[in-house]
Amino acid sequence: MQINIQEILKKLGIEEVNQGVSTGAKWFETEGKINKSSSPVDGKFIASVKTATLDDYETVVQKAQAAYKEWRLVPAPERGEIVRQIGNALREYKHELGALVSYEMGKIYQEGLGEVQEMIDICDFAVGQSRLINGAALQSERPFHRLSEQYHPIGIVGIVTSYNFPVAVWAWNSALAAIAGDVVIWKPSSKTPLVAIATQKIIQQVLIDNNVPEGVFNLVVGRSSVMGDNFLSDKRIPLISVTGSTAVGRRAAELVGKRLGKTLLELGGNNAVTITPNADIEMAIMSTVFGTVGTAGQRCTTTRRVIIHEDIYDQVRDSFVKAYEKIADKIGSPLDEKFLVGPLIDGHSVELFKDAVRRVQEEGGKVIFGGQVLEGEGFESGNYVMPCIAEAENHFDIVQHETFAPIVYLIKYSGDVQNAIDIQNDVPQGLSSAIFTLNMREAEHFIAQTGSDCGIANVNLGTSGAEIGGAFGGEKDTGGGRESGSDAWKVYMRRQTNTINYGSTLPLAQGIKFDI
Amino acid sequence: MITKTIQIEDLVEDYPFAVLFLKEKGIRCIMCGEPIWGTLEEACKEKDFSDEKIEELINELNKLANK
Repeated sequence: MQINIQEILKKLGIEEVNQGVSTGAKWFETEGKINKSSSPVDGKFIASVKTATLDDYETVVQKAQAAYKEWRLVPAPERGEIVRQIGNALREYKHELGALVSYEMGKIYQEGLGEVQEMIDICDFAVGQSRLINGAALQSERPFHRLSEQYHPIGIVGIVTSYNFPVAVWAWNSALAAIAGDVVIWKPSSKTPLVAIATQKIIQQVLIDNNVPEGVFNLVVGRSSVMGDNFLSDKRIPLISVTGSTAVGRRAAELVGKRLGKTLLELGGNNAVTITPNADIEMAIMSTVFGTVGTAGQRCTTTRRVIIHEDIYDQVRDSFVKAYEKIADKIGSPLDEKFLVGPLIDGHSVELFKDAVRRVQEEGGKVIFGGQVLEGEGFESGNYVMPCIAEAENHFDIVQHETFAPIVYLIKYSGDVQNAIDIQNDVPQGLSSAIFTLNMREAEHFIAQTGSDCGIANVNLGTSGAEIGGAFGGEKDTGGGRESGSDAWKVYMRRQTNTINYGSTLPLAQGIKFDI
Repeated sequence: MITKTIQIEDLVEDYPFAVLFLKEKGIRCIMCGEPIWGTLEEACKEKDFSDEKIEELINELNKLANK
């Protein structure tokens, strides 16, 4: 299929210069710095964005505060209906938005479509949840008393998203926040502002058609000098959701914590796949290769380490190399469906990839495949690399850090599966993990309390590619937050405990006597 | 000119060489593909750099920038 980017931009309403601040249907004339967005695919300039000033930020927050007062009064199922329509609008523009995600971020078109599908899926999930925001009826210790708890909206939710899932993460947060009765202020990545603007334009007709107050869905494209510490420290924003690095998350936790606000942190990972002697090795290789090179290794859930039992190590290593040899011919423009691996986001990421390849060797590891920057026709942007396989040890400094690029470390273990789990857990991060085994004891051990310490622990599938139905997030340096499915909606609400005395006496809890 | 109050986001955009230079000094400006937040001084202090050491580092950066 041929993808014409100029047509896509036109359909999405992206102009040569775009305003970067919106409160829903309204766009603001901004005077901030111009952010030029270029494609990692071919290095070409796509369009510019006028970023926000501090005044714009203040205007948006005030609009959001006012909108919240109205939005929280709209019944949740009605809020769900708006989200349903947003999901349908995204369905209508799935191809266009998916293609722009691919072109501005660099993931392959199929993954771009998958990203928009995630947005649609979470909208569907949120619509159902809008009728299921439930509390609990509890048993009071006092006669003629009713004890219960309920959930109320929390207010303004600040959403900071990263370039690797530039629009899906917004949807995860904002669909649930919206049905919860909250309003959102979205700070997208400075590397992918156009897909954020396109998303806002896609939803704006829904907002107009339904008279949704300005200030419910806000977008502020701004640098960290305008949408940075001031945003995190703003007491008017009770919940800040950050998807990004551990460093940014730690900063957010400190600043939001200082004012006793709430954070939802989805930070770095250092995800491992364990392959035991009882694995279906063919399945393990197929699945793990998607986990290591998908999105060019730029997913939070990318497989960074593969822990292989010594008895099958040589066989698995050789199979990996063979699979990578096939991948080598499938690196190229993500808009061309014959390719499976696109570029890295920019030159910095390429430099850090090269640096990781160098460092793993300096520390005693051995590169057994790839690691070079690709040159020649089709690779003129300088952002394409040959995915790298390196044999390494878990304690290497470079292995302990997350390199946001397609470099995977093969690590050998011996003996019991617990030894592999210990290696897996011996990193600062705790996002995603997986084991390949057909042995029930090994599988159950892996997901038991003594097993994986990650937020996600899979059996016979890889570390990446989560469905929206489950809660997504991880432990330790990954931040502890949970987004998306299951009961993640509760994060966007405040819990209230209610005790109602419908009797004619005043018994105190714990039987305390206090007679005046 | 690079000063200690420059935001890391601006530093990596205007002086791309700084990313690897600072990495060699133990300061990671880019994580998960995105610049970290805060100023150069804050990033240095995070790594326990003294005021003198920060000044030295900024002088080096400016020398490289003016090459």
